[in-house]
Amino acid sequence: MQLKNELDLLFWSSELLFTLAQLRQFPKVYWIWNHRIWVLENHLDSSVNIWKEELVMVSKLLKIDARNFHGWLYRRIIVRKIEQLTGEKKLFEELAYTTENINNNISNFSAWHQRTVLLSKIFGENENESNAKMIHDEFAYITNAMFTDAEDQSVWFYIKWFIKNKVVRETLEPSEYARLLQELHSNVVMINQDDLEFSGKENNWCLKILIVLDDVLKNIGIETCIEKKKCLEQLINADPLRKNRYLCLLNDGQ
Amino acid sequence: MASKERGTLLKEKHVRYIESLDKKQDTLEFWLTEHLRINGVYWGLNALCMLRSKDVFNREDLIKFVLGCYVESTGGFAAFPRHDAHLASTLSGIQLLKMYDAIDSLSKSQIDKCVNFIKSNQMKDGSFQGDRFGEVDTRFVYTAISSLSILERLTPEVVDPAVDFILRCYNFDGGFGLCPGAESHAAQVFTCLGTLAVVNRLQDLTKAQVDEIGWWLCERQVPEGGLNGRPSKLPDVCYSWWVLSSLSLIDRLEWIDFEKLRGFILDCQDEKRGGISDRPDNEVDVFHTVFGIAGLSLMGFEDLVPIDPTYCMTYDITNTIKKYPYN
Ligand SMILES: [Zn+2]
Repeated sequence: MQLKNELDLLFWSSELLFTLAQLRQFPKVYWIWNHRIWVLENHLDSSVNIWKEELVMVSKLLKIDARNFHGWLYRRIIVRKIEQLTGEKKLFEELAYTTENINNNISNFSAWHQRTVLLSKIFGENENESNAKMIHDEFAYITNAMFTDAEDQSVWFYIKWFIKNKVVRETLEPSEYARLLQELHSNVVMINQDDLEFSGKENNWCLKILIVLDDVLKNIGIETCIEKKKCLEQLINADPLRKNRYLCLLNDGQ
Repeated sequence: MASKERGTLLKEKHVRYIESLDKKQDTLEFWLTEHLRINGVYWGLNALCMLRSKDVFNREDLIKFVLGCYVESTGGFAAFPRHDAHLASTLSGIQLLKMYDAIDSLSKSQIDKCVNFIKSNQMKDGSFQGDRFGEVDTRFVYTAISSLSILERLTPEVVDPAVDFILRCYNFDGGFGLCPGAESHAAQVFTCLGTLAVVNRLQDLTKAQVDEIGWWLCERQVPEGGLNGRPSKLPDVCYSWWVLSSLSLIDRLEWIDFEKLRGFILDCQDEKRGGISDRPDNEVDVFHTVFGIAGLSLMGFEDLVPIDPTYCMTYDITNTIKKYPYN
């Protein structure tokens, strides 16, 4: 507390400028981020404004390197602080921020990761009805994403999490859940077909996700036309780096 | 790559490279920098152990150096004499003493103080900070728990909250992050699974989780054969250790292609000076040298001494550690 009185605003502002210069040079050095938090905590201006400015700053740094996980971690801390000071949740704004990042670059796994964290929180706080709406929107969003780039693993990791998510499973009417899964299923089959016609090869990630979808659908009593065994046998040839995993899954299935 | 001699680990050259680091103490190349010195010495000795050349280092000198890094006031080890103690350097110090079967060169009260130093860095949520500056990271949970295990001083009061914390770092994709909510990273997967393995709690993970972890880990292998640390990142030799040790701990080592990875590691050798780099044609360093060799050892190539994926030391050393829970 005494610090605050003895040192003037100028000092804190120049300290922020100094650490910013450091961060631009060494964005992966943990203690600079940590020191910056300390500066903000002790800043003469204890209003929410400096934290809001900080959020703008971290957005800029994440523009330079969108995969810097120190930056993403820092962002979560800043957002939490703003939420505490204003008493308002920023979940939807932050979700929109991940959308913006993913739309810029669909392979931004850090943004997809952040999306799972935020969505889990939103699911936890929402009423059932608004969750159902969000889930519908999300099905549309991931369908769009996989049509945009079916080669990149980020979107597929996200999809396999999303379709098995407990809230997704339990919020929707069973028939509605089944319908959305089957729709997703036929879209994945379609992408795979397109790839086959276009390049003569099936899409490995489509096959991998069809296997997951097959399990999820079976769990709710729906048989698919895609044979899990056939997908696995194909992957053994098409994705030989991970051949032993597929052999293992084949054995598990028997 | 065609000019490279594929398919051989240049053992003799790597031994000479590590030896040369010890002799060039005043050059830039020496063990990276002072603030990582004790870690660097551990990496070097560990590589020599796998290469059956432990004697290249002078045992007495090394023990003297390690004891010189012990900080009497706090009980931890520093990276270099007269620096501050840190959990990361404390693990390296204890590992080095263990590798020379010299834990008892510390007095009983020094060991007690060291145990207290480690425990004093545990936070309420079970995590550990590296030192009093408060960086929290699953890496430090591993360094703390592994250190206490080598000293055979684990207790449920320390272990149980640490395990809870680790399990909270598990992510949607089958990986682990540096704290709850942080993105998965292969090095963090090792520190989390390694911690669970040290305290014999891998069974806290469900079969479904283990399958997801295995899937995420095997997707780290890229067409060049090397492994990356996160999706859409470049391959790097050090992940040969972080990813493979993790796969080994969950008994899915063969979920990646051994021959391809072996080729990638061998392509990263400096054929003239010895040593291994992060990627082909980059500068070599001791960190990537040890983890490249450790990857080869885990895959059973090149007649190396087998390395224990839990402790990152050879089995002949770790076999003597009393396993938790005690009694
Ligand atoms: Zn590396």
